[in-house]
Amino acid sequence: MISKFQIATKNLLRKKSRTLLTLVGIVLSSWVLVSLLGFNRGYEKALNRDIDNMGYQIMVMAKGCPYEAATMMLQGGAGLRYIEENVVKSIETKPEVDKVTPILMQAFFDPNKGDGGGIAGYFGIDIATFPEMKPFLRFHKGSWFRDEAAAEAVMGYEAAELEQREVGDMILVPEKNVQLRVVGILERTGTQDDGTIFVPLRTLQRIAGLDKITTIGIKVKKDADITKLETALYQLPDMQVVSFSQVKMTIMKLIATARVMVLSIAVIALLIAMVGVVNTVLMSVMERKHEIGILKTMGAMPGDIFRLVWTETLILCATGGIAGIGLALVFARLSDLLVRRVLPYAPGGELVAIDGRLSLLTLLIIVIVGLLSGMYPAWKAGRVRPLDSIRGER
Amino acid sequence: MRNAAPRGLDSLGLKPLHMLLPLCALMAPLSAAVSCELNYPTADVARLFPGSTGFKTIYFSFANRGGAPALRKVEARLGGFPALYAPLDVPYVVYEIYKGNEKIGYIHGVNQKGQFGVLEVFVSLDLEGRVKAFYLQRVAGQWANKFTARKFGTQFVGLTLKDFAQYNLLTAKGSGKVAAIANPVPEAVTDFLGILRAIEKNLILMDEFFYSAAKTKP
Repeated sequence: MISKFQIATKNLLRKKSRTLLTLVGIVLSSWVLVSLLGFNRGYEKALNRDIDNMGYQIMVMAKGCPYEAATMMLQGGAGLRYIEENVVKSIETKPEVDKVTPILMQAFFDPNKGDGGGIAGYFGIDIATFPEMKPFLRFHKGSWFRDEAAAEAVMGYEAAELEQREVGDMILVPEKNVQLRVVGILERTGTQDDGTIFVPLRTLQRIAGLDKITTIGIKVKKDADITKLETALYQLPDMQVVSFSQVKMTIMKLIATARVMVLSIAVIALLIAMVGVVNTVLMSVMERKHEIGILKTMGAMPGDIFRLVWTETLILCATGGIAGIGLALVFARLSDLLVRRVLPYAPGGELVAIDGRLSLLTLLIIVIVGLLSGMYPAWKAGRVRPLDSIRGER
Repeated sequence: MRNAAPRGLDSLGLKPLHMLLPLCALMAPLSAAVSCELNYPTADVARLFPGSTGFKTIYFSFANRGGAPALRKVEARLGGFPALYAPLDVPYVVYEIYKGNEKIGYIHGVNQKGQFGVLEVFVSLDLEGRVKAFYLQRVAGQWANKFTARKFGTQFVGLTLKDFAQYNLLTAKGSGKVAAIANPVPEAVTDFLGILRAIEKNLILMDEFFYSAAKTKP
């Protein structure tokens, strides 16, 4: 016996072009919808990962330092401002603080880097506290420094690749002509650590001829009041506080407008697609009034006709939805690239994250909205009066 | 002078946006596989290839030109030492040099391990594969200027791949034109041999992907 699905499929295939065009509308709208939902989730996740990979939630530096950090690459760190190391001790005592690590950023002019020279940057870190802040850092080869004043360096994967360094090789700090032995190469992280050369804090201080630091990284205790800590840190004289929660909120605010706009476009696309579904099914019902009348005279109840027409809507939406989600999955990397081009700041990693759960959710939305749209044509079909429709054919 | 207390989302103004600039730079992931490109191609090409009027940049890697077998072949020609860091994906850059519409040569660079860092070694070549000019774009060490000096570079002019057949880069012994090249810094043997090895690598890659390929074309 022929099933309801087979009848519905046959009906849809009667007008192939119309069905295909309707399907294209649903495919496009589900593609946009799943990509957008994937972006909503992926962007925040990638941003959180980037911020978590910093290892600390708050950075304290001398006032004006962030600007100079940005220009360090251009000016060789000439304008860097420094903090006394005892500030670390005063921050450590705060109840919200879990861990603190002092950092010294230094840049030296390398006259042999490119035409006209370039800047080589170094990150002086405290071996006792920094690795604890970034337990996710793994070594491709080697390990951290032997001691806090060793003439050694640990290189991010890409820094090592760029300089063609291996564990045991030497690097030379330009300007100062100090040799450092590479004792470790980190695995790729997808963050700025990949391009960083880490040196023991005391070693870098000795090379630079100073006993100060540029930055303090602070890891806050779980469930501690970050805002309260930030307020306390702002009381430190001449200090600038950069909270990554604020940074995250600012970035999220920057992209919020774009998200709302794209979401609106997705909703409009979905509505247009559904209008297309209503139109297709309604036209099909009108064209088949005579057949529906005959079905009714043969004993079909309004509910049977309703379900038959509704099944057509279900087939259209489910097929279009699955195809759209499939395309979104196939072209996820392309969407990722396009999104990266238009965003003011794009974190590393996957920006458009589409998984099975999200795909099912999108399919459910498409099918539910589709079925709601299909109710009117199905109801209209169920109300066809057999005698009127048969008479109308004559 | 003290900063204001931290403010909430609603009152975020210009300051946090400025704060983002360095942080974005700090957090931005870096690109993968490292290529060897001229820093200022327009000026460098004119300097390395006098008389040229234009150039075309070609990118290739072992991944899209022969894969692992091609890489193994080149490594074998270089003495069997495997290259460091994802050699299959390393993008190589060749500048095809033109005078009007006529191709007159190539400029090609390779990265090579040096004593304190990478050596970025470029050569300009005529259509027969003869070195016309040598350019060391990057070298680390207090002796760098000795290697970047014109006097050192001119020793490579006229070399071909055949000249390297008479010289063993591992033992630094041999005869012919390569053996005659003087090391300006005796204590920097690693960099000196690295430069020679880079030139040979340069010529082998060009032979493998351009000169031999051109000969086998019908």
